[in-house]
Amino acid sequence: MLKKLARWSRLKSPWILHLNSGACNACDIEIVAALTPRFDVERFGILLKATPRHADVIVCSGPVTRQIKDRVIRIYEQVPDPKFVIAVGACAMSGCVYRGAYNIMGGIDQVIPVDVYVPGCPARPDAIIDGVVKLLGKL
Amino acid sequence: MSDEQIIERLKQDLGAKALELTHPDKRRIFLKVVPADLVSVATLLRDAYDMAHLSTVSGVDKGATFEVVYHFASPVMNLNLRVEVPREAPRLPSICAVIPGAILYERELQDMFGLTVENIPDSRPLVLPDGWPAGQHPLRKDWKHERPPEVIPGGKS
Amino acid sequence: MKFEIPIGPQHPALKEPISLRMTVEGEVIRDADIRLGYNHRGLEKLAEEKTWIQNIYLTERICGICSHSHTSCYVQGVEKLMELAPPRRGLYIRYLISELERVHSHLLWLGVAGHEAGFDSFFMYTWRDREVVMDLLEMISGNRVHYAMNAIGGVRRDLDDAQRQKILDGVAVLRKRTEYYFHIGANEPSFVGRLAGVGRLTKERAVALCAVGPTARASGVARDVRKDDPYAVYDEIDFELCTADTCDVLGRTVVRIKELMESYKIIEFIVRNLPAGEIAVRAPRKAKPNEAVSRYEAPRGENIHYIKSNGSDKPERLKVRAPTLANYPATVEMLRNGFIADIPLIFAAIDPCICCAERSVELIDARSGEERTVRMSDLRRLAAARRRASGLKGKAEWPF
Repeated sequence: MLKKLARWSRLKSPWILHLNSGACNACDIEIVAALTPRFDVERFGILLKATPRHADVIVCSGPVTRQIKDRVIRIYEQVPDPKFVIAVGACAMSGCVYRGAYNIMGGIDQVIPVDVYVPGCPARPDAIIDGVVKLLGKL
Repeated sequence: MSDEQIIERLKQDLGAKALELTHPDKRRIFLKVVPADLVSVATLLRDAYDMAHLSTVSGVDKGATFEVVYHFASPVMNLNLRVEVPREAPRLPSICAVIPGAILYERELQDMFGLTVENIPDSRPLVLPDGWPAGQHPLRKDWKHERPPEVIPGGKS
Repeated sequence: MKFEIPIGPQHPALKEPISLRMTVEGEVIRDADIRLGYNHRGLEKLAEEKTWIQNIYLTERICGICSHSHTSCYVQGVEKLMELAPPRRGLYIRYLISELERVHSHLLWLGVAGHEAGFDSFFMYTWRDREVVMDLLEMISGNRVHYAMNAIGGVRRDLDDAQRQKILDGVAVLRKRTEYYFHIGANEPSFVGRLAGVGRLTKERAVALCAVGPTARASGVARDVRKDDPYAVYDEIDFELCTADTCDVLGRTVVRIKELMESYKIIEFIVRNLPAGEIAVRAPRKAKPNEAVSRYEAPRGENIHYIKSNGSDKPERLKVRAPTLANYPATVEMLRNGFIADIPLIFAAIDPCICCAERSVELIDARSGEERTVRMSDLRRLAAARRRASGLKGKAEWPF
């Protein structure tokens, strides 16, 4: 009974944590723009949280630089189970134009397991909301 | 002051210190000096030519030497000061005493090219990651990067 | 009793990771240290392996907010290298996009400053208005961010008359709203009280530390690349250099709002006086050995690219210095003798390509070694409570 309640609340209002692993900020601004009155993602119950301990979904952007790789793994471990990862933007998927640079690992999936990929450079806020909804459909 | 007036004044003030002085475009002067004169010329530019603003410091690997360009700016002119150091002995004096804002650019030169900037107030690495092996300087021409093979999770490799 | 507080690198709501370590004594910051490198992507090395045209796409992705400034600075430099003279219509369109980008960046910053000062409604209002600009940019170029409008020798897309009319309409709407924000920014006592006196940077220190952009202009340093080193069309356009002399975050806010009004003037001039003709000239594939220094006024300050060619179709060296890097020594200076509660505001005031929002601050007790996590929102509330206690009341009037 309690499990069903928890599952319903997770489906109805996933709380997200935004993680930037060395991106150019375009995807990050589009993620924040999803909160603003035009796209208004808060009406779906999605809240942007400050700390990993409160989040259900990690929204990640950026090609992973070597310096931040350990922090990404640490943050992934700090988020309590069950957790999901959305990789936003071409950089998070495969490295975009930075593929092959000496300081870049590649996409986010070289470091942590990813559930949903949202393409685009940068991914539009509509696409990001669509990605989150598709993730909820998989649960 | 117009571009020509500035060039005349520079020739008078610097005399033999100016190894090369070119004016390729409007508001662009390229001036070459030896590394030993760097601090005195920077002080002269800051005090007499109103060039207290250092835009950045660029390093170029030319094979046998490293060339370092200091980009100074005043409200009417952009002057680029060049010095060359040999590859076997890459040392430069620091101009942080003259222009305190140069500290980050000199730290970056140390990281990327392996130049040693003497009397630098703070010589920690600036942009390279924590575990970076010493002696590897990415912007040198002979430093090549081998990409490790990537694993595509759940797919064809 | 000195403590060291690390801040970052993960910033939950926004942008680039950066690590700050503050040495504090009570509530006052004695020293600050910045650790860069979380965002180092090895761009300059990558640029040497790509051709001139591929580098346009690489430089665009240095930063998302000021992407057009990096491409324009690069393309200006390459055009000097190859000795090309792009047609006037192409130049006018390129700098029209530059000014639209300046508008969108300043509106973004105003929202973030409002959020840091505790004024979340301001954040929502300014970002809603920013959507007007994003729609205009999407209409002209096809994308909201990373509008790939620049080509070596000109621009890639043209404007027609219906689009020009839409731009003028959009700017008229934004002008009315910006005047309202000016009214709030200058007259609303609680907002002013939150921003005044925070993050002081004197004029001498701003010049010595080579600060650029609105950070320096708010300390009275009258430097703007559009006036000092006018590139292409800026010597034909009449606009004012905006400065303030309060040397604090309030001055930076006022400078940015004034720059918004100047940008509207420039946009209207460009759209009304667009010359007829071609939009681009053909560029050669290879460039003769040459070098060029290209400077540009991005929304955050002076952007400088140094480009060297060696006769092939790839650059020999591309050196990029983005404006936020030049403002870091000035930020450290501003943080000294400030309060912990002001950290988010001071850091946001330089308009870093890292505009903050929520962060966690870990306080490590030097004696017992135990850790206590304090949220930035708590720090913000603490600051607001302190200001309230000092007797400033807010009397906002909402005209619409």
